[in-house]
Amino acid sequence: MEHLPQQDQRPQINGLLRVVTLLFAVLVLRLLYLQVTTSDDYARESDENRIAQKRIKAPRGLIYDRDGRVLARNRAFYSVSLERTTRKDFDATATAFKEAIGDREINDNYSRRHRTIRLKRDVDFRTVSIVEELLKADWPLLDIENETQRHYPYSHSTAHLLGYMGIIQDQSLINAPGKTYMPGDFIGKTGIEKIYENNLRGLDGVHYLEVDAAGRTGRELPELDQWAVSGNELHLTVDLEVQLAAERALPDTLAGSIVAINPQTGAVLALVNKPTFDANIFVSFQAQEERQKVLQSKTTLLNRAIRGRYPPGSTLKMIGAIAALETGITDTLSTFEACAGSLAVGDVVFHCNKLDGHGEMNLLEAIETSCNIYFHHLAQILGFKTWREYADKFGFGHPTGIALDPSEAEGLLPSRQYYQEREGWTFGHLLNLIIGQGAMLATPLQMARYTAAIANGGYLVTPYLSGEPPERQPIEGITPATLKIVRKAMYQVVYGNRGTGRRVQIDGIAIAAKTGTAQVPNRNNDAWFVAFAPYENPTIAIAAVIEGGGGGGAVAGPIVRQVIEAYFKQSGTADQAATDTLLTAH
Amino acid sequence: MRLFRELDFLLLAATLVTVLLGVTMIYSAAFHSDSTAVQNAWDKQAKFAFFALAVSLAIVYIPDKVIYSIAHPLYLFGLLSLLAVLAWGTGDDAARWLRLGPLRLQPSELAKITTIIALARYLSDCTTERINKPRGFLGALCISLVPMALIVRQPDLGTAISFGAPLFPMLYWAGMRKLFIFLVVSPIISVICSFEPLWQGAAPYIFATFIIGSTAFIHLLLGRLWMTITMIAVNLSAGLITVYLWDHFLRQYQKDRIMTFLDPESDRLGSGWNIIQSKIAIGSGGLTGKGFLGGTQTKYEFLPAAHTDFIFSVIGEELGFVGALVVLALFFFIITRALQIGAMVKNRFYSLIAIGLASMLTFHVFVNIGMTIGVMPVTGLPLPFLSSGGSSLLSNLVAIGLLLHIYTYRHEY
Repeated sequence: MEHLPQQDQRPQINGLLRVVTLLFAVLVLRLLYLQVTTSDDYARESDENRIAQKRIKAPRGLIYDRDGRVLARNRAFYSVSLERTTRKDFDATATAFKEAIGDREINDNYSRRHRTIRLKRDVDFRTVSIVEELLKADWPLLDIENETQRHYPYSHSTAHLLGYMGIIQDQSLINAPGKTYMPGDFIGKTGIEKIYENNLRGLDGVHYLEVDAAGRTGRELPELDQWAVSGNELHLTVDLEVQLAAERALPDTLAGSIVAINPQTGAVLALVNKPTFDANIFVSFQAQEERQKVLQSKTTLLNRAIRGRYPPGSTLKMIGAIAALETGITDTLSTFEACAGSLAVGDVVFHCNKLDGHGEMNLLEAIETSCNIYFHHLAQILGFKTWREYADKFGFGHPTGIALDPSEAEGLLPSRQYYQEREGWTFGHLLNLIIGQGAMLATPLQMARYTAAIANGGYLVTPYLSGEPPERQPIEGITPATLKIVRKAMYQVVYGNRGTGRRVQIDGIAIAAKTGTAQVPNRNNDAWFVAFAPYENPTIAIAAVIEGGGGGGAVAGPIVRQVIEAYFKQSGTADQAATDTLLTAH
Repeated sequence: MRLFRELDFLLLAATLVTVLLGVTMIYSAAFHSDSTAVQNAWDKQAKFAFFALAVSLAIVYIPDKVIYSIAHPLYLFGLLSLLAVLAWGTGDDAARWLRLGPLRLQPSELAKITTIIALARYLSDCTTERINKPRGFLGALCISLVPMALIVRQPDLGTAISFGAPLFPMLYWAGMRKLFIFLVVSPIISVICSFEPLWQGAAPYIFATFIIGSTAFIHLLLGRLWMTITMIAVNLSAGLITVYLWDHFLRQYQKDRIMTFLDPESDRLGSGWNIIQSKIAIGSGGLTGKGFLGGTQTKYEFLPAAHTDFIFSVIGEELGFVGALVVLALFFFIITRALQIGAMVKNRFYSLIAIGLASMLTFHVFVNIGMTIGVMPVTGLPLPFLSSGGSSLLSNLVAIGLLLHIYTYRHEY
């Protein structure tokens, strides 16, 4: 061993001591910062860590029809879930589960972010028993979870009315303060489910537990728990029998829509469209294919009753009649030049629905037979401005304001400007408008409201689905006498000898109606039918359209007849019974 | 008996207190665990402590000069054990252990000591003049690099780096000029400067600035053109190799650890989990802590590896700032005592060992505690005397044994 002369190492030891001291100073200062300066923040984080919040889902409020029949309920189902754990345990457990049930389509995305990961939702009893009896002993992290989902017992019949639920996509709602929604939650996407989402949803509860990082639960903390508050029940104005009858009456092969309202209040009794869909597939975990089919179809989800825009055809003629009566242009006795089947105005020839002509007739007869020529003559005296004024009063060109869909269509009541911006204004346009053709477009709901206004003596109602009826607006400048004449004319449509709506006659119920056969580009004529009943003190106003259905009286009439029949078969008698009880009591 | 009277009782006492505190805190950290193996970790640690203490006291009684003469065989033994790990090693995500009957040993822990002894022998054999020559330095570098290379292969980056820690203090102690130390450290600085994740887009500019600045500095102080050119080449390649290694060589979990260190909040429940939970544990401990067995972070297993790598977080949570300061004071005492022993012994070989051991302890303490409080990356380096783990405890108590040994022969040349 070499013995080198020992150097003076004192300055070197000082250098090393300085480095060590510096390093320790860094540690002490950092500890001081963590444990003294910002300790409170970390103490709070530690508390949040320790106490787990387990959400208790609030049951969604049920939806009833006006007689308390359940239209939307909650169905319990089972999910297989996995407690938060390490990736290794998760993968092993998920694989074991996959193999045991022989199903490869499970959600096996591992995440530490969620306390429980749902492997498969809405499993059958076979899977539940496999998990409970075979797997749970070896794979203790597996769990069967109770969940509920929306179920619509009258699936297709109420789809457009109630809407459907879907998994929440809106991140801003998930991140909103209050943590109302969690990823994977269902939310109302359309219809009643969407509009009344806040009422129906209820308030989720919180169950507090002490847990460790692996998600194993320890002591319960009942003093902190918040109970779940169920969503509110929702009672609709809809009459299930009428709704079902309307759905049955509409042909499956054609698109169409029926809206029935109470003409006095605006209460919606039925709202049905075809084609329709099964709203249950949107909350199902198995029906991806059917769901895709519905979503890809452009027309199935369309709520035609409030978003379908149709030329109303002859059902609009009462506007011209009312305008003419109110302005004194005509009365019930006056006639125009006899209808010879066609009329030349300028260089355009307008045809009537009866090619050999209706002959000479008054207003009542013109409505009864739906003579176009009569209304063309009327239009020439009436003028566009006056006609449009009355159409506007009956709500055309304005959304009805029903609380069902914010994007309700307003239809189209063209103005003079509308034409000037396009092909230019000519008088021929009015001749088309007065018979519900040309640029004129209306939704079935607008047509029902217009029919209701004639039926109720001149009040424009706001159709509603639940709660108190919105205040109805008296239409200014319409006298009861005028409407009485128009109602009489509509009565003649059903009961007159030459009436176009004779097919809807029902024993014991007086019905007033108007048919319409609207020409539409690229398809057969749309069949229209508007009606109200009973003729005296009407309680139902109804509008129906069948796309490409053909003649209004022949096609749409019998359909409406079925709906009115269904309405009076039960609800009419029920109303009668109520009246009887009142009379006996007094 | 003379040797008994010559024992450094203060150092021994500080060590024993630290080990005892370690066993106590391991008991607390593992108290609520489901696993009986973990629950009994304190018992195992205590038993191992007795064994290791016996070994370290036995080292005290090794006759003078014996360690010097067996330095080379010891070093060779250390390398062979590391090779054995590569061949037969076991472990979860990296093979670090050797199974010897019922025992699981981590040879890298013991190789730390044998490498320091080999380095001390090499440097004590060299004249100061020789150490300041490239050939002398390269010899020392090789002694450190061979075991480092073997450990990187396991792979265990943190432990590998810890082998480099004693090198520069020992070179400095052996008489290497500060300028030369800068020359050899500059490639490391070059690596840091070129490390893209640390500087985001600015890395190329920082790297270029360092290359120009260091070149100017070296050229002005040395004035030898070949030296300047060599340093430019070395620094440039160090930087470029870093970029290459990051892109093609590092394991994903190693990258994750480094990235998580740089920004733990970026992945709160993924790789950032450990650092955040540790900081929450220590921070929520406050001034006086939540009390023994009272740490909720520990109890509910939010704290990962509480009884091993993150034992300091348990101390911080349950004993608070006061407890943490006591631990730091104990370490500070042991390390400065080791440095003093290095300064007072007449024998150059012993003196270098003491400095090497002091550096090793300092590195471990700083890196481990730094990790728990978020100033260093998660490396998996244990905290000396406190972390549960036999190999680490044994090697650290052997280090104390060596220091006591050196102290008893402090007057001998």
